[in-house]
Amino acid sequence: MEKLLKGKNAIVTGARKGIGYAIVESFAENGANIWACIRAEDSDFSANVAEMSKKYGVRIKPIYFDLSNEEQIKFAFKEIMQEKVPIDILVNNAGITHRALFQMTSLKTVKEIFEVDFFAPFLFTQMVVKAMLKSKVQGSIINISSTSGLDCDGGRSAYGSAKSALTCFSRVLAEELGLQGIRVNSIAPGITDTSLITLNKEQITQIVSETALKKMGTPKDIANGALFFASDLSSFITGQVLRIDGGLL
Amino acid sequence: MNNLEKYNKAFMEILNVAELDLESLEYQKISAWDSVGHMQLIAALEDIFDIMFDTDDIIDFSSYVKGKELIAKYGVTI
Repeated sequence: MEKLLKGKNAIVTGARKGIGYAIVESFAENGANIWACIRAEDSDFSANVAEMSKKYGVRIKPIYFDLSNEEQIKFAFKEIMQEKVPIDILVNNAGITHRALFQMTSLKTVKEIFEVDFFAPFLFTQMVVKAMLKSKVQGSIINISSTSGLDCDGGRSAYGSAKSALTCFSRVLAEELGLQGIRVNSIAPGITDTSLITLNKEQITQIVSETALKKMGTPKDIANGALFFASDLSSFITGQVLRIDGGLL
Repeated sequence: MNNLEKYNKAFMEILNVAELDLESLEYQKISAWDSVGHMQLIAALEDIFDIMFDTDDIIDFSSYVKGKELIAKYGVTI
């Protein structure tokens, strides 16, 4: 099988589990070296990626930082830059979710959600873009947004707004960086089987019943989209939002 | 080459200006020093002096003279 990302170097945030972990595995399988970013040291995660690294013959290095801490973000980036290899791909996947009625959402919560879901990728991307421009790579940036940021579902005033901001940010960036050959796209997952799900069984059944495919997505389904945007298969695509939602029509 | 010479060389090469014009050089006063030129200049200076500018300093970097002052914050004397 052709390795779509052979020799590329990628950063994936929120890599510990769920969609992020699936993206790391998919990228590794396709030949990319990866900085797998997670919040704190985790020996199970380190062991898993070491095994993955061996299996696919790539380098996967865990990087630890808290996205709500600006200093830690800068420190982590410096750690990556010290390796003096070009960064070809960035996946801003890390995020926190929230579901509550608008009247029950405090401003403090909104700020916390925006801190991780929008401000952190904003800052981190600013650093990575500078590195991409320096090394003149044909880079690809992928922001993992959400259908909540497009559909503006009830209960999502904080989370949906932050994801909407991330989607808009992606499009602006696509326009600003196109001339330098850097593509920026976002993926809007629908209901996906990860630990971030804040719905009960009945709510899940209800949403799944509204999809054309009548099933829940898997992290691998989302990772396939990320692989497409990261690879040259999408070399003429930028500024787009790909819904991976089983057909929420 | 000392730090001042390296600093000047970056401006002259990236913005295509003469050494005599450097002292009065300001952001967006010549076509080469637009936002794209600015980021190229920042990237070059980061490479040359092995530093990483904070975003606030990238924004504040409004002239050749101001740039010297900002770079000093990162322990580089020009």
